[in-house]
Amino acid sequence: MTATITRGLTGVGAALAIAALLVLSSGKNPLVAYEALAQGAFGSPDRIAVALNKVAPYLLTALGVALCFRARVINIGGEGQIALGGLGAAWVALTIPAAPPVVLVVLSALAGAVAGAMWAGLAALIRLTRGVHEVLVTLLLNFVGVLLVAEALHGDLGEPGAGFPQSPLLERGAWLPKLVKGTDLHVGIVIAIVAVFVVHRVLWHTPFGFRLRVRGASEKAAAYAGIDMHRSFMGVMLISGALAGLAGAIDVLGVHYRLIEGFSSGFGFTAVSIALIGGLSPLGVLPAALFFGFLETGALAMQRAVGVPSPLVSVIQGLTMVFVLAAIALGGARRRV
Amino acid sequence: MIEDILAASVRIGTPLLFAALGGLLSERAGVFAVGLEGMMLAGAFAGVIATWLTSSLGLGLVASAAGGMALALVVVIATQRYGADQMVTGLAVNILALGLTSFLLRGFGARGEAPVLRVPTLAPWPIPWLADLPVLGAVLFRQPPLTYAGIVLALGVAVWLARTRAGLTLRAAGENPYAVFAGGTDPVRVRALAIVACGAIAGLGGAVLSLQQVGTFTDGMTNGRGYIALAAIIVGRWRPMAALAACVVFGAADALQLRVQGFRLPVSSYVIQMTPYLVALAVLAGVGRSARLPAAIGVPLLRERK
Repeated sequence: MTATITRGLTGVGAALAIAALLVLSSGKNPLVAYEALAQGAFGSPDRIAVALNKVAPYLLTALGVALCFRARVINIGGEGQIALGGLGAAWVALTIPAAPPVVLVVLSALAGAVAGAMWAGLAALIRLTRGVHEVLVTLLLNFVGVLLVAEALHGDLGEPGAGFPQSPLLERGAWLPKLVKGTDLHVGIVIAIVAVFVVHRVLWHTPFGFRLRVRGASEKAAAYAGIDMHRSFMGVMLISGALAGLAGAIDVLGVHYRLIEGFSSGFGFTAVSIALIGGLSPLGVLPAALFFGFLETGALAMQRAVGVPSPLVSVIQGLTMVFVLAAIALGGARRRV
Repeated sequence: MIEDILAASVRIGTPLLFAALGGLLSERAGVFAVGLEGMMLAGAFAGVIATWLTSSLGLGLVASAAGGMALALVVVIATQRYGADQMVTGLAVNILALGLTSFLLRGFGARGEAPVLRVPTLAPWPIPWLADLPVLGAVLFRQPPLTYAGIVLALGVAVWLARTRAGLTLRAAGENPYAVFAGGTDPVRVRALAIVACGAIAGLGGAVLSLQQVGTFTDGMTNGRGYIALAAIIVGRWRPMAALAACVVFGAADALQLRVQGFRLPVSSYVIQMTPYLVALAVLAGVGRSARLPAAIGVPLLRERK
């Protein structure tokens, strides 16, 4: 556990330092930039609400990724699964708008989870029946999933005359309730934190979680111990897809109140970096998701305030991942000796 | 019409071909090439910037190879020095390349806005006499220079891998690195060189996109081509000429998609845009079972530390 924390903090610190050099080389003062970033992330209750709303889908998706990676299933289809989740949620909310409010929001969110699980299940099916590696299948399906959302918005789900590919505003009954009155903060973050503890419990205190961990430690040992490799593969993919789908649903029902083209852009990869930095442990994923949620919220404000481009966040993400990956491997090598 | 589509398939398949050839070297040496997407993007970016600054397409090409190599060096250090997981490292450098190119591009604009840097594109070079051949002339001999370069490179890599000692050593590093070690060569070094070569070639693939096809750089302009190139490697069973054929097929899917968008079809343009990805998936699913990976791919090699 301490090793995970050290790795995460060192990785983030080193990445922030290199990013500061980049800012410096572009002729800006990195301290001013980081201050603007912090101001944009924590400056007011409203900013914090926006950031926490960002954290919720990251957290849910990263939990699924962490479970998969634990079982050595490299699911990087988060983006497509989130897209499908948003699509499923919006479709249900627009199809049965007359349903009672609580029923409507619950059904819409569930539809998102089911749609995400089906998308991940499709990837798992291609992997298991045709032997194509899941990395490639999930990556390629990401593009298809995002295009499916675009297709729906230019077809039946689109708002006529909106001028932008988006669905009509959803019924109020489908909106996620607010957590704090007067801010945008919705209950998504609570759902996500509950999910952290559920996934933690599943991973460490159930036979299924044990099977996943054995699988991840050694496929040979898992097969020898009689673990059904196909079943556990499909199982972890479905759970992870459902979590990502729920994340997409929460973003649609809690932030935009409608389906918007490209709403899932970049979420999937961010979730992978969060899962890695969190040491693939559900409890570790929580601080990592908070970090990236606030970082991204602050980055947009930083771009507005001091003109430092917000893609700096992806640079920090990529660098942190590389550092953490190297540190994990190095730790493993030391243990072997 | 047919001749037209075939010519476009070859042209559009060219960036894939470069990426696939680079990735093939890396994977035959035993290192998964998930970072192809980022290497292409880095190459596309560096090529445009250098051309824009120096107005020399030649320097642009050199820069694009260097850009891909720079990203490859990150992969080398993470996977070969520290033994980091190859696939996830590839993904990490893809994110890094996406962020870095978008960030640096905005450095050429004002107030954090992305500028449009227009650069000239490489014009077709019809080959005298051969270009006048029926069908074949249009398909193969009226192409821009990098397309010829790609085809020649595919032949070169095929011969080099199959017929030279160095090629044999590279393949051995992917099949049985301990044999390479026993033979007196350092397999970690072989893999590192293969990754760097992969970066340079994939970077040129990015240049095909930015300097031969589009004439500018936009955020994330590779749009999954690196992943489709990975599919082409698998479909081609890690053999250069077969990978070339796969790239032409995937190029054809893309060419058809662009062409069909002009017609009035009952399906929307978004469904049609899915074709390259769906075709890649379908072909992979078709050959998946029979594909055999290099035996030691993904196995990290670490020197004994004291």
